[in-house]
Amino acid sequence: MQLISKSHIVKNNKTVANVNTALAAAACALLGTSPIVQADESVWEMDTALLYYGETDRVTAVEGVFSAKKDFGDEHIFSGKIVVDSLTGASASGAVVQLNAQTYTRPSGKGQYVIDAGDIPLDDTFHDTRVQLEAQWTQPLWNDMRGSTGVHLSKEYDYLSIAVNGSLAKDFNQKNTTVSAGLSLAFDTIDPEGGRPVAFSEMVIDEGQFANEEAYQAAFDATRQKDTDDKTTVDLMFGVTQIINRRMLMQFNYGYSMSDGYHTDPFKVLSVVNDKGLTQSLVHEDRPTERNRQSFYWQTKYALDSGVADISYRYATDDWDINSHTIDSRLRFNLSDNTYIQPHFRYYQQGAAEFYQPFLIKGITLPTFASSDYRLGEMTAYTLGIKYGVKMASGNEWAFRLEYYQQDPKNADFEAPGMLQQLDLYPSVKAVIAQVSYSF
Amino acid sequence: MLISSYSIEQKSDHIMGRFWAMASPCELLIEPQDSMLANHLTSVAYAETKRIEQKFSRYLPNNPMANINDSQGKPIAIDNEFFRLLELANSCFQLSDGLFDITSGVLRQAWTFDGSDNLPSPDAVKVLMPFIGWGKVKYDQSSITVAKGMELDFGGMGKEYAVDCVAKLCTEHAPTTSVVVNFGGDIQVNRARHNKQPWYIGIESPDDAEATKVLKIISGGLATSGDARRYLLKNGKRYSHILNPETGYPVKNAASSVTIAAPHCIQAGLLATMALLKGPNAEVFLEPQDVKFWCYR
Repeated sequence: MQLISKSHIVKNNKTVANVNTALAAAACALLGTSPIVQADESVWEMDTALLYYGETDRVTAVEGVFSAKKDFGDEHIFSGKIVVDSLTGASASGAVVQLNAQTYTRPSGKGQYVIDAGDIPLDDTFHDTRVQLEAQWTQPLWNDMRGSTGVHLSKEYDYLSIAVNGSLAKDFNQKNTTVSAGLSLAFDTIDPEGGRPVAFSEMVIDEGQFANEEAYQAAFDATRQKDTDDKTTVDLMFGVTQIINRRMLMQFNYGYSMSDGYHTDPFKVLSVVNDKGLTQSLVHEDRPTERNRQSFYWQTKYALDSGVADISYRYATDDWDINSHTIDSRLRFNLSDNTYIQPHFRYYQQGAAEFYQPFLIKGITLPTFASSDYRLGEMTAYTLGIKYGVKMASGNEWAFRLEYYQQDPKNADFEAPGMLQQLDLYPSVKAVIAQVSYSF
Repeated sequence: MLISSYSIEQKSDHIMGRFWAMASPCELLIEPQDSMLANHLTSVAYAETKRIEQKFSRYLPNNPMANINDSQGKPIAIDNEFFRLLELANSCFQLSDGLFDITSGVLRQAWTFDGSDNLPSPDAVKVLMPFIGWGKVKYDQSSITVAKGMELDFGGMGKEYAVDCVAKLCTEHAPTTSVVVNFGGDIQVNRARHNKQPWYIGIESPDDAEATKVLKIISGGLATSGDARRYLLKNGKRYSHILNPETGYPVKNAASSVTIAAPHCIQAGLLATMALLKGPNAEVFLEPQDVKFWCYR
């Protein structure tokens, strides 16, 4: 008896389950519309931005970003991004400033440039266009988990980077706690114009000592490796996000990054100076083929009555001995229901890499690795900025950002010989960042 | 009179067009593009609603519906729109195992749900029963034959159909504008707003006509069936106004109202009515339908 009634219920359920589907079809037939469920159809959210980055006398970059995101229902989210940037201008070659003019060979080996006496040696052949594509898919998985996976592709004239990533997140404690873990694998290939310099090879400068063009080219080629080189990077990330109360949220992340392969900057050189501080020659830098980096990150967001405070701190350390501290803070003030201003302050401090040398001394045994790239040296940097956003009646949003960024390299206890003592070996790099973005 | 047929009002973040039709307040909430467009959409909506009311209302004389109900068993010519509504009514009859029946309106001759204790006599109900039964109606694409004494009533579909038609017209006239069509709680939102915010719509609470509950709706349809104020009460027993066409009596233990969110307003409305007809099993019926619903008892 029980069995019969049970099967009866099952049968009934089966018929009723089809009612809505049948009604939807009947309603569409009546209205002459397609049976696409409009209620579930979300719109694409698009963001566009144009960014200008200009360093005084150095690099200028213009970057366009287009990103789009769509929820295909039930938190199945696709996001994609296209970035195109163009860099022009000059970047520090790594050589030291001198009291006389200096002549350099361009990294391609074709042509020369001259740095005036007292000027910072900048390589003005620096120009490139980079295209970056990203796609990411996020969706709920079994057991209240969310999964996300994506690909990343970045291409420059002489550089290609391909990366894949995956992450899992799970909510606990009534969604007040989220724990996440992620993995990213990147594979980079470099093929610089003119080839990769041989470590510590001397820059070949044509000062009339070559019998002919072939002799120069042969000497130049002897300092170069023609094939491409590559680098693989594995990043691991673990994070905890905790809602503290109705207004406050905290996030802790730990990251471990391992990279293996070509880390050297093929365009950077070191000056070899004598005891008077005079440059005797220029040699190409060389960096270790491995780098392991750990980072610890803490962020707090606090909702104010009319705004948001966002403060974060990051400590990073690696086996190149670069330890860094970053404090970043943003304070958003809502000026009205649809406008806000957001001041931004960031302070950064790092110690020098163990193989960092502002120059090499003539006659001293060459180290295993060396680079005079100021970005590997001791420095502090700060950013001061302000952003203004306005939301239109249509719901679309304009935002304008203006920032000042200054990097101040420091002397990490290197004793400068002779005339180098009178020269600024650690010049500041000053930059302005301007950005306009539009979300619709 | 024509001038006051509809009105336009500027609200804080939308424009409201308003008129009265189908015995119900009719509202359009329009994203603020420009008031010319809002005026145009409201006039289009007003014309369309009036057209549907004129054509299908069983309360008006000399319209196609009246011609059918007065046909005395003779075939009456119908147009394609009429045919499509009949097809939908037929689907509902099938899907509800005969509970949803547009010929059951004749029972109103016996039943008046005015909150009183005036139950009809069993005989008064019994004499009407031979005039109920969708199966007895013959129709095809061009004509319909309704037996003498029988009546059709699109009461459970007409307003929702008008809401969907108006929403569709708004999309045709202004494809990028989000419009809420709200005819006394039967609602269709043609597309999501540009600012990605939901529309907040107050609908009358079934328990208390003074109170309203606020619903968030991004896009799609919403409809409510049931009316807490339409019932009879005798010897402590409450008789809902939802009548079972097979017995001629109110459905026992029916929910007082059911609200459903579905892609189309008419789909939501029909599903809500079917749920009421299921009596105590409304929730059991709705649970597997994969729609959002609110069932009040």
